[in-house]
Amino acid sequence: MTYYLTQITRIKETCYANQAQLDTVISTRHYIDHHYDKELNLDLLSHVRFTSKFHLLRLFKKYYGQTPGQYLTDKRIEKAKELLDGGRSVTQTCYDIGFESPSSFCTLFKHRVGITPVAFQKRAIFTKSA
Amino acid sequence: MKVKIISIPVLDQEAALQFYTEKLGFLKKVDVPLSEHSRWLTVVSKEDQDGPEILLEPAPNHFEPAKVYQRALFEAGIPYTQFNSNNVQQDYDRLVALGVTFSVKPTEMGTVKIAVFNDTCGNNIQLVEML
Repeated sequence: MTYYLTQITRIKETCYANQAQLDTVISTRHYIDHHYDKELNLDLLSHVRFTSKFHLLRLFKKYYGQTPGQYLTDKRIEKAKELLDGGRSVTQTCYDIGFESPSSFCTLFKHRVGITPVAFQKRAIFTKSA
Repeated sequence: MKVKIISIPVLDQEAALQFYTEKLGFLKKVDVPLSEHSRWLTVVSKEDQDGPEILLEPAPNHFEPAKVYQRALFEAGIPYTQFNSNNVQQDYDRLVALGVTFSVKPTEMGTVKIAVFNDTCGNNIQLVEML
């Protein structure tokens, strides 16, 4: 057995021994993946998993290193890029990923990606035609 | 500042280019000759061609400590870096069919599934799928 295998076996036994907790956070992540276009909040997510919202928040952060809200934002931005790249309009993309306001979507997108959704879409079109 | 390039030390750039494109499915992005035996050679993910580039750098052949470090990591089974996978089991099956050897078969590690393969250029590389 290599040094690396020894180490990951040890980490698995010490950090990932609680399968019930793992099931909770993994199913929460899957729920976000399948419902990112809906209005999601901690109350709803904890209700889905029959757990307290603060417990769920702690568990999710413990195992994924970010809060469910941060993960949801990442997911939405990733999907927005896909939709814009595929030619979807900025406004439609905004609603399709669960945002209610195009202006807040554009602000967040620029903050996270570095360019506006319109600029991102133009760049994608230019790259494809190059 | 932005992350645009990550380096992977390779023992043979041409062999590395073949492995990373023909087996792993990356695309060659930049190939600039620098000297008789070295190139600025990068590849990118087919699904993210504007994403980070992997620089296949020949450091182990030109700088002895780099070779020592690479060999020590390899012999300990430690991955030099890791790539994300949507399905580690599928990638494992596909790569095994192409003759790639794995030191760690698909294994669940809490919220991820991992596998580790030999890139034939002096490195262990880990595949990671978020569960």
